[in-house]
Amino acid sequence: MTSENKAPANGSIVVVGGGISGLTTAIEAAEVGYEVYLVEKNPYLGGRVSQLNQYFPKLCPPTCGLEINFRRIKDNPRIKVFTLAEVEKVEGGPGSYNVTVKLNPRYVNEKCTCCGACAEACTTEINDEFNFGMGTKKGAHLPFEMAFPARYILSKQIIGTADAQKAKEACKYDAIDLEMQPKSMTLQAGAVVWATGWEPYDARKIDNLGFGQYDNIITNMMMERLAAPNGPTKGIIARPSDDKAPQSIAFVQCAGSRDQNHLPYCSYICCMASLKQATYVRARYPEAKIYIFYIDLRAPGQRYEKFYKAIKADDKVFFIKGKVAEVSEDPATKNITVTAENAVTGEKIKQTVDMVVLATGMQPTAANAKPAADLNFNADGFIINDFDKGGMFAAGCANKPADVVSSNQNATGMALKAIQTLARQ
Amino acid sequence: MSDSYMVEPDVGFIKDVMKLGGQDLKKCYQCATCSVACPISPDTKPFPRKEMIATSWGLKDRLVGNADIWLCHNCGDCTTRCPRGAKPGDVLAAVRAYAVTEYAVPKVLGKMVNDPTKLPILLAIPAVIILVMGFLSNMVGLGWLSFAPSGEELWQASYINNYLVDIIMIPTFFFAVGVFALGLKRFLADIHANALLEGKTTQQKIDPVGFVQALIRVVPTIAKHNRFSECGENKERATAHMMVLYGFIGLFIVTNCFFVAEWVFHIEGPYSQINPIKWLGNIGGIALLIGGGLMIAKRLGQKEQTTSYKDWYLLGLVMLLGGTGLLTEMLRLGHMYNLSAFVYFLHLIFIWALFAYTPFSKLAHLVYRTVAMTYQEYSGRK
Repeated sequence: MTSENKAPANGSIVVVGGGISGLTTAIEAAEVGYEVYLVEKNPYLGGRVSQLNQYFPKLCPPTCGLEINFRRIKDNPRIKVFTLAEVEKVEGGPGSYNVTVKLNPRYVNEKCTCCGACAEACTTEINDEFNFGMGTKKGAHLPFEMAFPARYILSKQIIGTADAQKAKEACKYDAIDLEMQPKSMTLQAGAVVWATGWEPYDARKIDNLGFGQYDNIITNMMMERLAAPNGPTKGIIARPSDDKAPQSIAFVQCAGSRDQNHLPYCSYICCMASLKQATYVRARYPEAKIYIFYIDLRAPGQRYEKFYKAIKADDKVFFIKGKVAEVSEDPATKNITVTAENAVTGEKIKQTVDMVVLATGMQPTAANAKPAADLNFNADGFIINDFDKGGMFAAGCANKPADVVSSNQNATGMALKAIQTLARQ
Repeated sequence: MSDSYMVEPDVGFIKDVMKLGGQDLKKCYQCATCSVACPISPDTKPFPRKEMIATSWGLKDRLVGNADIWLCHNCGDCTTRCPRGAKPGDVLAAVRAYAVTEYAVPKVLGKMVNDPTKLPILLAIPAVIILVMGFLSNMVGLGWLSFAPSGEELWQASYINNYLVDIIMIPTFFFAVGVFALGLKRFLADIHANALLEGKTTQQKIDPVGFVQALIRVVPTIAKHNRFSECGENKERATAHMMVLYGFIGLFIVTNCFFVAEWVFHIEGPYSQINPIKWLGNIGGIALLIGGGLMIAKRLGQKEQTTSYKDWYLLGLVMLLGGTGLLTEMLRLGHMYNLSAFVYFLHLIFIWALFAYTPFSKLAHLVYRTVAMTYQEYSGRK
């Protein structure tokens, strides 16, 4: 974009959350000439999408979509990105907000060249949250290869230890600053777009599905990491208990979703995610059998329907209409037996498989951490958009469960809503 | 199953079940969690998922004569796990209540037993019968009803003669037995036909000898409340239910013993407080009160399970039977004879209600569930 139209007074927009929705809102608004502050709590942009192996239905790697967006941010001086940044509170009204942001220390400054010497020097291994605890990473690390900003980070856990000192000494570029402190700043903006995204629902809460109890029961987001080339297994799908190549996998749909004891709503993406993950397994293990247990398979729209039909044609993929309500483990083989009633035949099925994937749903981030701002939430923690009041808007999964395509469309719309707020002033 | 099936919904049936405690029925979206959550549901044609859709569609014929609704012990595991709050446990309980009224004739009495506004009439019937029969006996000079008996040590029979009581109660008891017998004949034929239709049985015909053998095999399961202890939720309910069941059994034995004592051996009451049969009666009465009290407390304490009129009716009857029985005795021992006689009169009303209305009330489960469990044992279903 080359337009040079100057932003009006108070013409800036704060976008909270640097996942696919936040990136889209930020870039769309900036490319038509508005100043945007992009505030991300993680040390990297890309959000949940960066953890995926492939998008559905095209099965292309998400990194390519992210790369284009990162390029657009780099090229656009109107976007200011703050990572490790959390919104503490928002005051004011439409056209004039004061957004207080806390900047957490990265302990690594802009001199970092990503040479990796600090990570080599570091001996402490910490839990790898990016990979959902499958494996560990160094106390000094790059969040992931494609991370933007491309800069290492020192985990808080090693600050004050000898490891931190070793990392600092290993850095030839004087990029490590162990004295960094949290900072607070106030951003002035005419509009705020909340793209705070989602978290995988905590599968431990679904106490009849055995997650956390049996090794070979994983979640769909863990499956993405297992299948991802930059994941803990470098893309090899192996079952956690013994690294065996699974010859049979059961997918448990609606694991926590459409359930008033957990998430009462449909999480929208899990059916497509499981269908997609079936292709991951089938591509790697041509003999592997896949069992998909569902209540209703929801593949909305013509393109998703086509994808579903293609998977359905696979004679090694079995669809069973019936929700899994019980799991058990054979202690000797670590195989899992899932139990469901096939609602079509009216018989109980006990299917023993090597590995089980729980298609857990999405919970809005705000369900567990409500932003201190004048927003309306529904009972589940999704932000309700109040277009009459205006000024602040929710985009993507902060507003409703959605796939990447709809999130992007929605995020573009919210960029326009934010711009309208500014233009009206 | 045939290729096409014309669904003929009985809308009235759906409404009745919803009224009988299954009001959340329509929330069901057929995920089948309930059939797996149920610890006592069989592997072939498990319940209650299929019962949920049949009820939702108003397929009365598939439910009323379906033994599976009786295999359910209403422990609530399905309701706890239900992702929709459709409360399958309560729906099955409501379907059972409906089924009871279908098998018990006259049907109009069944409708009355399930209708709280008709309760005063139902209780007035035995009161009127006792009084009218009593006055009639007085008119012909038998004097079975006395409002001011004389004597040093009075007891309830001094007011309401045992002849009067037994001449009313015995036919009532056999009336109930008859209603059950008629209902069971149809019930057994229906559940067998349903099992054949749904492929739940390996038996083509009901062989009476084999059926009785199955009953003998099932009795220990019932006696020990094994099915109750399989339940995840509300396991402790077994204790309360056992107290009420054995309370009733104990009191039934006591009644028969005293009946024999009175009419065969002509030993007149009141009987000594140290008589072991008397002990059994007292323990039975206390068991009813404690068991019933525990059940009431549990129902009041928990929100997941719906408690409707049919449940309160039975719990109320249990408490009132035990309460009036023990109170009659205590008032007599305290020499408050007039009051004791009045409470005894109430006690007789409740006993009559117990006998006469059991085939129409929730208590009918003692017959239908036993038969259904026996049938399952007989059918060899896994």
